[in-house]
Amino acid sequence: MSELLDARAATLLPDGEPLRRHDAAVFDLRRRRDAAVAALPDFEALRTHAQAIKTHTLDYLDAYLERFESQAAAAGAVVHWAEDGAAHNDIVHGLLRERGVRRVVKSKSMLTEECGLNPYLEARDLEVVDTDLGERIVQLGQELPSHIVVPAVHRSRAEIGELFHVHMQTPSGESDPVRLTEYARRDLRPRFLAAEAGITGVNFAIAETGTIVVCTNEGNADLGMSLPPLHIASMGIEKVIPTLADLATFLRLLARSATGQPITAYTSLVTGPRAGGELHIVLVDNGRSRLLANSTHRSSLACIRCGACLNTCPVYRRAGGHAYGQAVAGPIGAVLAPALSSQAEGRRLPLASTLCGSCSAVCPVRIDLHGQLLAWRRTRAHAGAGERVLQRAAAVVLGRAALLRAAGALVRLCWPLLARRWPGNPLGVWLLGRQLPAHPGASFATRYRRLKGSKR
Amino acid sequence: MDVALFIPCYVDQLAPSVGLAALRVLEHVGCRVHYDPRQTCCGQPFINTGATREAARLARAHLALFEKADAVVCPSASCVSTVRHRYAELGLELGPDAQRLCARTFELGEFLVRELDRSELGSRFPHRVALLQSCHGLRELELGHPSERVYATRPEPGVTERLLRAVEGLELVWPERPDECCGFGGAFSVKFPEVSTRMGRDRVRALAATEAEYVTGSDVSCLLHLDGVARREGLGPRPIHLAEILASGLDG
Amino acid sequence: MSARDGVLARVRRAARHEVSHPGAFEPARMDSGWERFASTLHAVGGEPVGPVQSGDLSWALSELCADAGRVVMGPGVAQSLGPGPWEELPEGVSPQSLADVAVALLRGSIGVAENGAVALDGRHAPVRALPYLCERLILLLETSEIVPDMHQAIARMPPDATRFHHFYWISGPSKTADIEQTLVLGAHGPRSLAVVGIRDLQ
Repeated sequence: MSELLDARAATLLPDGEPLRRHDAAVFDLRRRRDAAVAALPDFEALRTHAQAIKTHTLDYLDAYLERFESQAAAAGAVVHWAEDGAAHNDIVHGLLRERGVRRVVKSKSMLTEECGLNPYLEARDLEVVDTDLGERIVQLGQELPSHIVVPAVHRSRAEIGELFHVHMQTPSGESDPVRLTEYARRDLRPRFLAAEAGITGVNFAIAETGTIVVCTNEGNADLGMSLPPLHIASMGIEKVIPTLADLATFLRLLARSATGQPITAYTSLVTGPRAGGELHIVLVDNGRSRLLANSTHRSSLACIRCGACLNTCPVYRRAGGHAYGQAVAGPIGAVLAPALSSQAEGRRLPLASTLCGSCSAVCPVRIDLHGQLLAWRRTRAHAGAGERVLQRAAAVVLGRAALLRAAGALVRLCWPLLARRWPGNPLGVWLLGRQLPAHPGASFATRYRRLKGSKR
Repeated sequence: MDVALFIPCYVDQLAPSVGLAALRVLEHVGCRVHYDPRQTCCGQPFINTGATREAARLARAHLALFEKADAVVCPSASCVSTVRHRYAELGLELGPDAQRLCARTFELGEFLVRELDRSELGSRFPHRVALLQSCHGLRELELGHPSERVYATRPEPGVTERLLRAVEGLELVWPERPDECCGFGGAFSVKFPEVSTRMGRDRVRALAATEAEYVTGSDVSCLLHLDGVARREGLGPRPIHLAEILASGLDG
Repeated sequence: MSARDGVLARVRRAARHEVSHPGAFEPARMDSGWERFASTLHAVGGEPVGPVQSGDLSWALSELCADAGRVVMGPGVAQSLGPGPWEELPEGVSPQSLADVAVALLRGSIGVAENGAVALDGRHAPVRALPYLCERLILLLETSEIVPDMHQAIARMPPDATRFHHFYWISGPSKTADIEQTLVLGAHGPRSLAVVGIRDLQ
């Protein structure tokens, strides 16, 4: 068995207090989302509209990408194209090297996580500082973000206090969130002022104007792209939207779905470089054009990375983001992994869902996430030869009433044995945290025959 | 009205009393119920794991067996959702008759309320009962109102709730997070037993906090999983299927 | 083949060119008064002030900036104010030289009642780091420029809005909840944000 979401794996969120806290914190975001969207009477129509814009944009993505490129270039930005994560990292590193940059401040970007940019740059002697507080915490802890909006949600305040104590010499035992945030602010401010380059992600790119849009709450991306002379913005090719008017629809949905805010504190529209500065935009494919060609799965490219599907997912909340082993966890992570992840493990992730459908019901762009998971399962990429043989056999038994009833009779006969935990019990996995129900007695078919037979 | 009773394989084998209760309820409201003992499995376990070829074979057999039925009624919401929504994804050539059959396959509660317009059956069950809204019934068959959705105007109660509210003596209570998944998920429950059980334990605790004597729902599989967790934890209300509550106290 | 041509060729093959754009969204009607804007702003951690008459602005701002340290005002503000404890934003300064600014006083445009956001045009914040470096940000907003929702807000953006490199929507102060979901104001940028409503700003 693979280690994903497995009890034996160190990546599964520990049971007990960490699990309780994680579930409560993440579900609180879902509750805030509920309250925020309930205030919009046209919310469901807005979702439908957003989905329609995305469907249209993906259908004409070639034209919109070219339009975006030419408009951004006309505004003075330099547009780069990268086939994959390695090419992206190489482009970014080249830009930094040519300008002799040593110190980089970075704001949150799931794309650069996907590409593994940080370790790539650090291996080349660059100082890369993540400036989003949550990202900074996971950077100090040398781990992946466990959530796309709140990267350090798996960490307790005490753990964060300890990390800060070790890396920033804060007082031992300090765990007050207000004071810890203040320490981080004081530690990061000089780094912003001294940085020679800022790297940001992109939430939306507007084809009509060549504008990139960055949404944050902390203002870290804004400091990162307005203090250093060089700004590098990395984006997946699916981030482009047609017009400024379309942006309104997505801005109304993004923060409400993510954290229940009506909009993020900062929504920054940047068109071209500032006076005396440089803006480089790196457009990354990394499997997206292949996904676009897949008519079953292309709709997953509509994702705006709000994290609502993670917040509502009962599996994600009980497993923690690291259990998924990907930069993006949760339902959308499990949907994207088979297409975008280089790891074979990713192909098994579509199984990591009960298909409860809550993800699809919250998705602001109406991606049928649980339908997507089911569709990935149909590719059978997760199933080994042994499983296939077993399933074929099971289908034969379940396909014939006589065999089904014979198997049922056997199970009923062995019931007391099956209900006990012993090595080799075929129901052992079920019994890990559950018991068998009381003995069911005769089957329905048998009882029906007796019932109707007696009346006749 | 003539109805074909669809008793899914695991109800037949593991929860026969639910099948009997469904039969009792349908006969009580005046249906002529036909049960064909050759029926087996709708294919859900195979659809759930992407075993399309095996699922398609079972689906074809299922459709052939119920071909002549005007309405198919089943006491398990997820099996109904499988037939109604998932058969179309199996690459079968579904003719008009097969499509009609998929659309005319009903969960017991929705059949009573939506097709027969019967929510008051004369049932009597003087107990405090918590409702477990199973995911497929809730979000795919819309037997209730998913908490994620925004309604422009307040909708009338869902079909399961309406049926339970009409039961004499029954006090209906809702657990905290009224539509959080119980963690069963078919293959999920054995492929990821740790997370499945964590979800089940949380649900059992929320149900126990309602101080209900029973927990009910329209899906047998979720109730079996919860029962298993509750027994291990020594906590929580006893599971009872919606059909069994509806069959309680009926005359004759 | 260049990466550009390779990516674009694959995207072109995959794009179907079928589904047309849905057109404009028709939002539900909502209120666009100062009251609704102010209550949303308050909910996102900002301080609504006023609305005041422009004649009272100088006095109101003196109150807000009292004992604050270095107060810098952006273009479009000076003309509305007399002398006071503030300086005009010097031209051509480096952003780093503004690191000690306590209060930035900037002219906002377009308020959004549904989310408390105020637009900050590049022309009114020529040093783009200023609204993020200051400890306290004060935005002036003409109350007649409040619109009900984001659709109308974006429609109101001046046609050349994107020509000035940056255009911000700012809703409340800098904030984070990355440590156990505890809301903390002032993560990196301003610890507080006030929006002063003005009835007749020129």
